[in-house]
Amino acid sequence: MILSPYFYSQAIKLALSQIWANRKRSLLTALGIIVGVASTTSVIAALSGLKTSVLTEFESFGANRIYVFPDRPDDKPRNLYPREKIRIKPWEVRELQASCPSLRAITPVTEFGVSIASDERELDGITVVGIWPDWHEAENRRVISGRKFNGIDEVGERQVCLLNESAIDELRLPSDAVGSHILVDGRRFLVVGVIETLQARMFGGDSNTAELFIPFSVAIKLQSTEFFLRVVALAKSAEVSEEAKSEIQRTMRRIRGIQPGDPDTFRAEAIDRYIDQFKTLASGITAIAAGIVGISLLVGGIGIMNIMLVSVSERTREIGLRKAVGATPAAIMMQFLLEAMVLCLAGGLVGVIIGKLFAIGLTLIPGARLENADVPMWAVFLSFAFSAAVGLGFGFFPALKASRLDPIEALRHE
Amino acid sequence: MIRVRQMKKIYRVGEEEIRALRGVDLHVGKNEMIAVMGASGSGKSTLMNIIGCLDKPTEGSYELDGHDVSKMSEASLALVRNEKIGFVFQSFELLARQTALENVELPLIYSREAGLTSRERTRRALHALNRVRLADRVSHRPNQLSGGQKQRVAIARAILNKPAILMADEPTGNLDSVTTTEIMEIFRQLHAEGQTVLIVTHENEVAAYCQRVIRLRDGLVLSDLPVAQDQAGQVIA
Repeated sequence: MILSPYFYSQAIKLALSQIWANRKRSLLTALGIIVGVASTTSVIAALSGLKTSVLTEFESFGANRIYVFPDRPDDKPRNLYPREKIRIKPWEVRELQASCPSLRAITPVTEFGVSIASDERELDGITVVGIWPDWHEAENRRVISGRKFNGIDEVGERQVCLLNESAIDELRLPSDAVGSHILVDGRRFLVVGVIETLQARMFGGDSNTAELFIPFSVAIKLQSTEFFLRVVALAKSAEVSEEAKSEIQRTMRRIRGIQPGDPDTFRAEAIDRYIDQFKTLASGITAIAAGIVGISLLVGGIGIMNIMLVSVSERTREIGLRKAVGATPAAIMMQFLLEAMVLCLAGGLVGVIIGKLFAIGLTLIPGARLENADVPMWAVFLSFAFSAAVGLGFGFFPALKASRLDPIEALRHE
Repeated sequence: MIRVRQMKKIYRVGEEEIRALRGVDLHVGKNEMIAVMGASGSGKSTLMNIIGCLDKPTEGSYELDGHDVSKMSEASLALVRNEKIGFVFQSFELLARQTALENVELPLIYSREAGLTSRERTRRALHALNRVRLADRVSHRPNQLSGGQKQRVAIARAILNKPAILMADEPTGNLDSVTTTEIMEIFRQLHAEGQTVLIVTHENEVAAYCQRVIRLRDGLVLSDLPVAQDQAGQVIA
């Protein structure tokens, strides 16, 4: 049975006029679909916005960056792994530097709190960070004025420091602080450069913290001998970052004399892992959202089925007439299926529009980091596909009922 | 045109058998205009439904326009109705939200003819409306039309596909006597133009427009006479 294009155009026109003629009822019926589609599309919009800003942030971190931390194996007795055994020592970092050809830059990072003072002000509990000159390359932080650390600062254990803008503000130093002196733990340090303050980030803490950097060799002397450090390394490219990570793991196990089968006493992590974790989380949330949609579409679908049954019963005479003038059961079936689908698609359209408006609303929330929230094209298509499927699925039974009506009985129906 | 032989129709309601038609023979020639009469329960509705391809006989044969349609599938019967039969109902059965023109075009939605242009559809519908003298009401909706005008739209719809038979079931049942005359004149005119017409009625004045009257009783043909003889018989009775 082939139905003509004219049949389809008329059936769709009829479906639209039915929806319009019963617009209040249609709206209430489609509400389930509307709510389902609107909520999913806005959740997807929020997630995609979040994903974009998080991934951009990770990009700015540098995807080829690797971190090495001391790490005590969880499932082993503490006394087998004393603090001194897992602590990363400076010579280990130098060994990594020598043994890992895939690394472009590597630096130990040690942090500790001291009091610092300018002529104007004294600050307690400021975090001082000891670094190698390689840190500039590994962390990619911009030096606004002055210079970066160099090898002479490190080897000569020079009492020089880099400050960020927040530290300059807090110490009430002149805005071009290069050349000023400050006291760090009672010692006089020359400010050689100013580093940009970190932009607000979702990860990595407070943006406006005062930061003070000094050469690693100097930092060692200011601390107890048991100080902790972590390692920041940069692989030559993102492609070799896995390679670089395993070089680090091999070297660390070798120099620490870890036997095969024994656990690592350190942890090496590439930033990719965080991206993967985030992606896992995001897809988890998407799955939950999909579940919610499933339920609301089910509820919406039952509403559709109900209203289509009402429609079939209201229009029994019309069905009888159409059959009398030559509509086959298949044509009647198709007409009611189309009507259910058009109703669902109209609901889906309204839902997508509401979702889109929600997404625009999300972008306007200050500080929510959802500037990129938008309903992706695939979500729009998916919404329509789902709506059509609901129309098809739940419209089937009423359409079947209509197609099976006996024309004689139908024309006698009051 | 129509040849019915020994047609029987038996309905089962629970344990009971209702023999609505008990062996009807009937022949309708081309361009006849026939009235079918009979009390309710006489089987005339059943007969008309079968002739209109809305129902199938339990026994017997039915040949329409040279084809045996008594054993066709439901979908094929729908096609036969679309192409060979035009129905006019007592209560018009127009679609309330559509214009007269759209109502008349309705059968074309289900037509087998592929690739009819919209211009061609409109041309045919206008031609049909013209034949029932309603060319000036094409864009009116049913609620803007009088009863007689509604029935004329329905007649235009029925003759759109140039059916082999035009079947009317009490076409004037909902109309006053003036409008009845108006509608019957339309039928008479269509008949004069070559249309075969079957009218179910219980009014003698409607039957008087026909050439031949078939009376049914208890599922059998009671009489099948030219209208003059039939009407004379009614007067005597």
